[in-house]
Amino acid sequence: MKIFDSFRSALQSIIVNKLRSALTMLGVIIGVASVIAMVAVGNGASIQVQQQVLSLGSNLVTVTAGNQNSDTGLRGAGVQSMNLTLDDMTAIQAQLGPTIGAVEAEQSAGRWQVTAAGQNWNSNIVGVTTGYPQVRDWGLATGDFFTDDDVRVYAQVAVLGSTTAANLFGDGVDPTGQTIQLRQVFGGGGGAGGAQRARIVNFKVVGMLDAKGTTFGFSRDDQILVPTTTAQRVLTGRTNSVNTIIVKAASSDEMANTTADVTDVLLQRHKISDPASADFTVTNQNDTLAALNQVTGTFTILLAAIGGISLLVGGIGIMNIMLVSVNERTREIGIRKAVGARRRDILTQFLIEAIGLTGIGGILGILLGWGITVVVKQIPAAANIPIAITAGTVAIAVGVSVAIGVVFGLYPAMRAARLHPIQALRYE
Amino acid sequence: MSAAAPSTSGPVIRLRGVTKTYRMGKDNIVQALRGADLDVYPGEFVALMGPSGSGKSTMMNILGCLDVPDSGSYVLAGEQVRQLNDDQLAAIRNRHIGFVFQTFNLLPRLNAIENVELPLVYGGSARGRTQRAKDALAAVGLGERMHHKPTELSGGQQQRVAIARALLNDPSIVLADEPTGNLDSRSSAEILSIFQRLNDLGKTVVMVTHEPDVAEHCKRIVRMRDGVVSGDELVPQPRRAEDELRNAGAGQSVDLHSGTITHVPAAAR
Repeated sequence: MKIFDSFRSALQSIIVNKLRSALTMLGVIIGVASVIAMVAVGNGASIQVQQQVLSLGSNLVTVTAGNQNSDTGLRGAGVQSMNLTLDDMTAIQAQLGPTIGAVEAEQSAGRWQVTAAGQNWNSNIVGVTTGYPQVRDWGLATGDFFTDDDVRVYAQVAVLGSTTAANLFGDGVDPTGQTIQLRQVFGGGGGAGGAQRARIVNFKVVGMLDAKGTTFGFSRDDQILVPTTTAQRVLTGRTNSVNTIIVKAASSDEMANTTADVTDVLLQRHKISDPASADFTVTNQNDTLAALNQVTGTFTILLAAIGGISLLVGGIGIMNIMLVSVNERTREIGIRKAVGARRRDILTQFLIEAIGLTGIGGILGILLGWGITVVVKQIPAAANIPIAITAGTVAIAVGVSVAIGVVFGLYPAMRAARLHPIQALRYE
Repeated sequence: MSAAAPSTSGPVIRLRGVTKTYRMGKDNIVQALRGADLDVYPGEFVALMGPSGSGKSTMMNILGCLDVPDSGSYVLAGEQVRQLNDDQLAAIRNRHIGFVFQTFNLLPRLNAIENVELPLVYGGSARGRTQRAKDALAAVGLGERMHHKPTELSGGQQQRVAIARALLNDPSIVLADEPTGNLDSRSSAEILSIFQRLNDLGKTVVMVTHEPDVAEHCKRIVRMRDGVVSGDELVPQPRRAEDELRNAGAGQSVDLHSGTITHVPAAAR
């Protein structure tokens, strides 16, 4: 039997039983649609997480004070902030300089009340060094970043985040050259008549960062960068210590080497022979990404599995209907056999019919799945998720639909092919 | 043994000591054929007669390669059939045998052309398939209704479609199982005339029938009883269905029993 005849016959049979075919296909349609939509959303979420991690700067090796592997707690929080210093950063730069992209050290100065031009705002103050723009891949919208000299003399200069600048000076106003006043109230607590005192420090704005948006729900444009030394001496009083040293590796491939090199330099400087008892922790952005990808990957597999179950149920529906169809058409099978159809011809005919059902179901399912992603994109919470149906997903969905047709169509088709011609002809 | 004139090319069908036993239910064993012998030569027109349970249906199934004998030999067009597997039997049915059934057995979803094409779908070349089907339909007088579905055709027309289908692969033998059993007398006469014309053109036809009048249109009558061939005779002067139709004229039924013409009032039709 020519394959064309099989297809024509299968299509005719599907068209003749329109309602039944449609209902049978529904299982496959829903299954494929849910797999397509869920994998698209899952992949989109995974891509979004990746983008957000990379928006913090790419190829980063981060050194934090304290040993997160330590079970003992002896090198816990109490001494933590003293472990890393600006000298560590300088040493890393001096020893690894040519092999790394850039390095910077950060010391948080906490939240301060900020006033400028009559406006009041509360913002986070972070002490950073001059490597910041390069390490974070973060350019300036206006003005210049502060210089190494500023860091050396703990100058009271600041670079504003775009949101902070907008809140203090108004949208679209260049804050460069303006003065801001940082103030922090301490002592006395909130009690009535408590002896409250305030520290007030003036900073000169030298530049404003590009807008970056939010990462994991936090705005990164509401912050004020000051020299690390200024944060240490003027704002926190923690001379010399830093929270983190961030190294930008030369490339993604170099990250493992850079991680090892940075660890070596710091172990040597801190005179620790056993890496297991290091008083700092080096984390590598690739590891973070891998861990996050594992999470989102598990998420995607879970979603796909739900779709897979509906595909399985759809497949059983196909099998059921094909068995009914074989039964109904026993006489037709007998006639076809009488005029010379071989087992293979009958098998092919019913198999193609089953594949036709699942194949058409698969295509409709892809369209429905696509429709679902379009709807999901309209949901505000999901607007930023880069939902994408990839060619690979579509190919897998079509392949799986056809495979379901083969798997669940095979048994009914074999039953049809094995029918004895006489019994089939006599069947009423 | 055969009553027909021996042919130089040998019999197209040769059955020797064919037996077939069916198991109906648990303890009911039916010996449908108990050593039947039959030779059919090319160009014969044989009527197979016998009471119910005489084994003629089983005989037809075996002749048509729908079933294989338990023992004995069946040689069809020079091929020993008993050793063949399912697919080889299917190929024989496709190439050598044209079936015409009492209940027509057309596929209801296909139109006349598609039904007639069916043997070519499972064998032979696809080239010119539709044209061959159209020619075959024209030959049985259905050139006008080729695109109709079986439900849109009368019984006689459906049977003519079935005959066209049976003939499409130019089989060695046409097997008809009570082809006129479900037809009125006029349609029966038409079908018989088609078979007679085919036979005139050299086609071998074996036809099962209950009706002696129908059998009288054949050249030879083989009678069966209790699973064996019990009688075999030549019909000295086969009746011609064509003549009966011509004499009857339009609007009149054909009395196959006497050959006389009975007028059927228009209201009765």
